[in-house]
Amino acid sequence: MLSQTNNTFNISPKSLLETAIDNDNIPLGYTCNNVPRMLLNVGKLFPYRVNANGLSGGTELADIYLSQVTCSYIRSILEYAMDDQLAFIQGWIFAAGCDHLRRLYDNLQYNLAPGFCHILDVPHKSGHEAISWFSKELHVLSDAISDHFQTDMNVTNIAHAISAHNAVMQSLQKIANYRKIDPPLFSGTEFHRLMHATWTLPIEFMKPILEDIEKQLPDRSCPIEYKVRLMIVSSVIDQFEWIEAIENNGALVVADRYCTGAIPELEICPQTDDPFYDMASHLLQTNACPRMMDTFDRRLELIFQTVQDYHVDGVIIAPIKFCDIWGVETTQVISFLKEKAIPVLRLERDYCFSGEGQLNTRVQAFIEQLMQ
Amino acid sequence: MGFISQIQDQMLFYQSWIKNYQNIIQMPLRHGPIQTFQNVNKYPWLWHLAKVNRLLTIVTNGRQGNYRRANAAVVEKIVPNLMHILDNLVQNTDRLVLHEDMVPPEILFAMGLKTWMSELLGILMPIVDSHSVEKYIDIAENAGIPPDLCSLPKSTMGIILSKEVPPVKAILTSNSPCDGGMASYQLIKNKLDIPMFQLDVPYNFYNDRAIDYFANELKRMIAWLEIHTPGKMDWDHLRVICEERNKMAAYELELWESLRQRPAPLAAEAIYLSHLWCFNVTPGDPSGTELFKYLVELANDNVQKNIAAVPNEKYRTVLWNPPLLHFIDLFSWAEQQYGLTLIIDSMSYNRQPFIDTSTIDSTLKGLAHIMMTGPMARHTRGPAQNYFNDMFYIYTYFDLDMIFIAGHIGCKNTAALNGILREKCRKKGIPLLIIDYDLSDPRVVSHDGIIQQLDRFMENIMNK
Repeated sequence: MLSQTNNTFNISPKSLLETAIDNDNIPLGYTCNNVPRMLLNVGKLFPYRVNANGLSGGTELADIYLSQVTCSYIRSILEYAMDDQLAFIQGWIFAAGCDHLRRLYDNLQYNLAPGFCHILDVPHKSGHEAISWFSKELHVLSDAISDHFQTDMNVTNIAHAISAHNAVMQSLQKIANYRKIDPPLFSGTEFHRLMHATWTLPIEFMKPILEDIEKQLPDRSCPIEYKVRLMIVSSVIDQFEWIEAIENNGALVVADRYCTGAIPELEICPQTDDPFYDMASHLLQTNACPRMMDTFDRRLELIFQTVQDYHVDGVIIAPIKFCDIWGVETTQVISFLKEKAIPVLRLERDYCFSGEGQLNTRVQAFIEQLMQ
Repeated sequence: MGFISQIQDQMLFYQSWIKNYQNIIQMPLRHGPIQTFQNVNKYPWLWHLAKVNRLLTIVTNGRQGNYRRANAAVVEKIVPNLMHILDNLVQNTDRLVLHEDMVPPEILFAMGLKTWMSELLGILMPIVDSHSVEKYIDIAENAGIPPDLCSLPKSTMGIILSKEVPPVKAILTSNSPCDGGMASYQLIKNKLDIPMFQLDVPYNFYNDRAIDYFANELKRMIAWLEIHTPGKMDWDHLRVICEERNKMAAYELELWESLRQRPAPLAAEAIYLSHLWCFNVTPGDPSGTELFKYLVELANDNVQKNIAAVPNEKYRTVLWNPPLLHFIDLFSWAEQQYGLTLIIDSMSYNRQPFIDTSTIDSTLKGLAHIMMTGPMARHTRGPAQNYFNDMFYIYTYFDLDMIFIAGHIGCKNTAALNGILREKCRKKGIPLLIIDYDLSDPRVVSHDGIIQQLDRFMENIMNK
């Protein structure tokens, strides 16, 4: 087992982010996977998945504007932004992904009026007409970025950004595949830290990190003793402490079907002579978010296939409280998994990590159920 | 008010009451005793709908003269329509389509299909009997639906989960007005196991590209319906329906114009309940046009005679968001207590153009525009300006004194704008009351709790 000091999974995204900004890289914040990361990766620009990992205390200020029945991810981001903790972000790109994200866009604009703030109109369907619509939306976004940041968003540069994105996704997929074996070579917490770095750093920063990890893997062994293998299904999870708390109970997280995880985010974007259509089709057709109206069966199939591929013993489905689309979806996913005789635990949670004692009790009981 | 007027008002109530019961009794007579018994057994909510004449008591209570006549006329329109809709439980069920309230039925009517609006029971039942949908809300929550979800989709899902839905053959729905409503339809489809078509409304819809996209969605919906139901599109019939709808809309505009007068000649249910029913449930029905024509006549008559709907009208307000379904009597109480008049609500107020029926394309674009800017939908989609611009326009246009927000606890979309709204109203000097309550469930905030909020607002803000 490796020591903490030479563990290449112990990435320090904060200092690397500072380095990137010092090197004149321009972070563009996004809050939803319906925003094409590749398009924000041209020239000196890089996509930064907005999180409120450093938020301490509550969301008192954001609650005044958003009310307490809004998703805690949204409230945390607004609170963090109003506390000037996200001032390094040079531009905000939103997707009209859900009711709460749209209202974050409205409230952010009202309270902070960022210099660049754009919202993408994302269809709820994945057919040709919807892809064409979305493709035009991406054109509009590209033009707006080009104008504001004086960046050459020509087709060649965008195609290059897609290639670079795909290369990193392929490397990550190679590493992620080690989670399918038993025992895996790293913990779910470690992998989560790697994914967090991927979504918040310039792509060129990730290449050496991934190469180091690949080199180190043959000498590694799983850092935790575990009794069961779990899959997590959820929306946005930023705090690795939440995964760590689950794993401390003896359950290894081997599959992460959530917005900030690997499944299906590591899918490769197709490349033809129309990169805008490619990105639009990639986002709408690989999207596993329950906000999509015509991909329900595909979403269930993805979960079932992941359970098979990653030899999962049980599934934790963890919607963020007050999310309507995940709230209704969860009920149906649970029914589906029960029909397939796959054990499942519903764990409603807040965005910020809290209630560790309660989490431990629930997870321990679930592990006992799986062990029987 | 003179003794003769009082007698006339009382007579009007009894005449209307008898007329409505005559219509209610027609349904079991048409169906026969055995079928009626089977229906009541299969659809227990029929007992609640049988009490629909309670609505007459609610909307005429404390109202006088033309205002009373107008409200009674609205109920007289609803009752026979409802009974005919209930005929769909047993007749032509192979043509019966379940449709979301955000997908108005003009196209379905033109295709010769029968309709069952999924949310109809969830809307109508608490209006007639405050506690009537609690059972269905509980069923949905016990099945795992989060308690914080809007109670309208919860009650709709509860009815589906109870297997108390008529024998529908297909489902039409959309991504409006909110995530909760949209998500509920996947569960409905799974439970009913029938084909479903979902219309995709763009986020930003005030532009030609969005109208074209959505008009094409309607074309795809029609093609889908022709495959999955016996319905066939009759474009001439659609044109007739849309033209009738235009006539009704023209009368409604005239009615609104009269509401700008101080004091208002009509108010409350005569304005919003008539719109809710005629534009969403029975568009294209000539009797709807007749109703609006009658409302205009009553309003103009009051204007000419300088008669106020609410004697001693002191305050005029708009109600934003859907009306308080389980407590629609709130405004008859507020009229008597404070001289507070509900002029209009956000659900009724649509700045939509008339449908241009000159070609098929223009008709579909007109319908597309109406659906995208439909009640609630246009305020819960698009940027916040959609919400605020209409609100402050209405405030000025109708010369209002305050804004009431029906702060339904399940409507997170609009709750997330309350902070901005408070600050905007403060800057403009507009008194604002956000009523905390649940749309259909009086267990969350009771009627007394709602009255207390209004009392405190009137005492502390309006100094009454």
